Amino acid sequence: MNPGSTIRSIASVARKEFLHILRDWRVLILIFTMPPAMTLLFGHAFEVTSISGASAILRDADGSPESRKLVERLRTDETFAWREWPVGSGSVDLLDAGVLMAATIPPGWGESLKNGDPQPLRLVLDGTDTNTAPQLEGAIQKSLGEFQLESRQDMIDRLPDEVFEMGRKLPESVRKEFTSSMSPWSVESEILYNPGLRFIDYVMPGIVGLILQLLTVTLMACTIARERESGTLFQLLVTPLRHNEIVVGKVLPYLVVSILLIAMTLATGHFYFHVAYRAPLLVSVLCLLFLLCSLGTGLLISAFCRTQAQAIQFTVFYLLPVFPLSGAFASLEQLPDSVRVISHAFPLTHFCHAFRLVSLGHAGLSSIVGELGFLLVGAIVTCAGAALLLRRIQD
Amino acid sequence: MSEPVIVLDRLAKSFGETVAVSGLSLAISAGEIFGFLGVNGAGKTTTMRMLCGLMKPTAGEGAIAGQHIWKDRYRIRSKFGYVAQKFSLYPDLTVLENLRFFGGAYRVNGRTLEARVQTLLRQLDLEGKRAALAGSLSGGMRKMLALACALVHEPALLFLDEPTSGLDPVHRQQIWDLLYDLSSRGKTIFVTTHYMDEAERCTDVGFLHEGRLLARETPLGLKGHFRGRLLEIHVEPAMEGLVRLRGLPGVLGVALRSGRVRIYSADAEKLLVEWQARWPFPELRWIGHAWVAPDMEDVFKAYSQDYREILEPRRG
Repeated sequence: MNPGSTIRSIASVARKEFLHILRDWRVLILIFTMPPAMTLLFGHAFEVTSISGASAILRDADGSPESRKLVERLRTDETFAWREWPVGSGSVDLLDAGVLMAATIPPGWGESLKNGDPQPLRLVLDGTDTNTAPQLEGAIQKSLGEFQLESRQDMIDRLPDEVFEMGRKLPESVRKEFTSSMSPWSVESEILYNPGLRFIDYVMPGIVGLILQLLTVTLMACTIARERESGTLFQLLVTPLRHNEIVVGKVLPYLVVSILLIAMTLATGHFYFHVAYRAPLLVSVLCLLFLLCSLGTGLLISAFCRTQAQAIQFTVFYLLPVFPLSGAFASLEQLPDSVRVISHAFPLTHFCHAFRLVSLGHAGLSSIVGELGFLLVGAIVTCAGAALLLRRIQD
Repeated sequence: MSEPVIVLDRLAKSFGETVAVSGLSLAISAGEIFGFLGVNGAGKTTTMRMLCGLMKPTAGEGAIAGQHIWKDRYRIRSKFGYVAQKFSLYPDLTVLENLRFFGGAYRVNGRTLEARVQTLLRQLDLEGKRAALAGSLSGGMRKMLALACALVHEPALLFLDEPTSGLDPVHRQQIWDLLYDLSSRGKTIFVTTHYMDEAERCTDVGFLHEGRLLARETPLGLKGHFRGRLLEIHVEPAMEGLVRLRGLPGVLGVALRSGRVRIYSADAEKLLVEWQARWPFPELRWIGHAWVAPDMEDVFKAYSQDYREILEPRRG
């Protein structure tokens, strides 16, 4: 086979596929609006991880100066959007009231803080979403802690001079121990790799990968299945075109389109969310291998399925576990070991991990050789598999 | 007769237990228009797919222009054109784009391709439609375009799977005129068809029944396989006559042709003598009878219904 003729054959197939893409203007619009739109949407959706504006009820059944002070403090907490609620109305049905939490300061609370037997605040929490309840409880706990610290300072300030006189008579070691235990203990932390703790920086590779995976696999999965459905595949197979020429010719236009899409997505992240990318060459290689791997997967599905409907169903079936298990939006460390084994079978998992290592961790080529290798092997195996399946169609 | 273009030697194909084609031996010469006849499911498409190298034969050998239909399948693909029964071009590509794509796929490029595309557009009456999307063409135009795409690499052999099915008489005529043109220029044409008037237009026909080639002759020769002439009777009402005579002992089958009832029977003379002596259907009015020469339709019916008694034993 002479290489010039192979290149011309591939070019014929590629030109034809390009025309298919250009003629389908509905999909074309989808292709070019979805990546930036989804980046904006996901970017904003995951920008802030802590809860804010959770609607909640706060009832002060005590009405003491202490309780009023606490209420004042809680009102400034942006975690909550407080709703007015009558004090003497018994227990609150959270769903009926449309709130996630009801906090009650019990009668006599202010007094109990001084008589050696402090009463607890009463919280009723909606546990439907397993993340929300602990966060809301934590926010109350934090405010209460600060309130206590402040009260303690007030108390110390109000102590009569005799107490200090007595204190001075104590041995120095006891005095120091007392001072230590009275001052708040803290940590001093240094945050590496993502010092601003910007979640968008963390989640950007996930967004890029997810959008690209979705588009490339879906688009690619339809190509061969469509030809089979419409009968053009036989017409294609009776020409002298080789299977690998058909496969390469079909992948090329989609590769060009997806490179454009990845650029659009990364650009949206950069100019809108100010995400910085390091080692552009390495990131490009990573993106390219990931794209080839995704396109190969799509092509494999396509060569396997009889109709476009089947191809779409298979794609959804394949992509569904990828969303929660690839570590695109949450860290893999939350998953149990047995599930993590499955995660490592997805190209997106390796892509996200390597992208974060390079982009946030300043890692070099040597740190992500494993991930690049996985994607390369994936690309080769899926494309070769598709060519093999094409051969089986005619045998 | 010139050198055969297609030679098949005991070609067979089975799908598991099902035998699609068996013991098919056949030689087709250059310039022939070979009509491949048979009912649906007789094995015509399977044979054509094996010839095109899209399906591996279970047994037997086959060659196109001296090259093996399976082992050399990639090499022989440039030697023939294939027009599927179903419209198999890209509906979202224009006429010109479809032609150029298939040209490229057949490794015809550059100026050669452009020149051929222009010639084909002119020959097949598609010049005015060059920028139209293939999907927007009428059935006849689509077939013309499919033919053009199959001819873009100037093959010496053309496979056509029921090229005129679903077309109006004008387009059918147009397609056949084109096939005559091609044949006169030495191209070999292998065509499957259900239309018996089209079978008459072929230089040679083969009749495939349940995967076996029952006859391979000129249309005239095939009609000669009938033992003598066919009895045609004129009764009224004709339709009722058809129904009454259908199940009669000694009658293999009947067919209505221009208001007369054609009788397929091994003993037609005896039946006629009996009927003339005593017509057994008082409700049917006997008007007359005639002895007629069988046509291709009769041949098709006799072969596909297996009326062995009225066919000559196959020669060779």
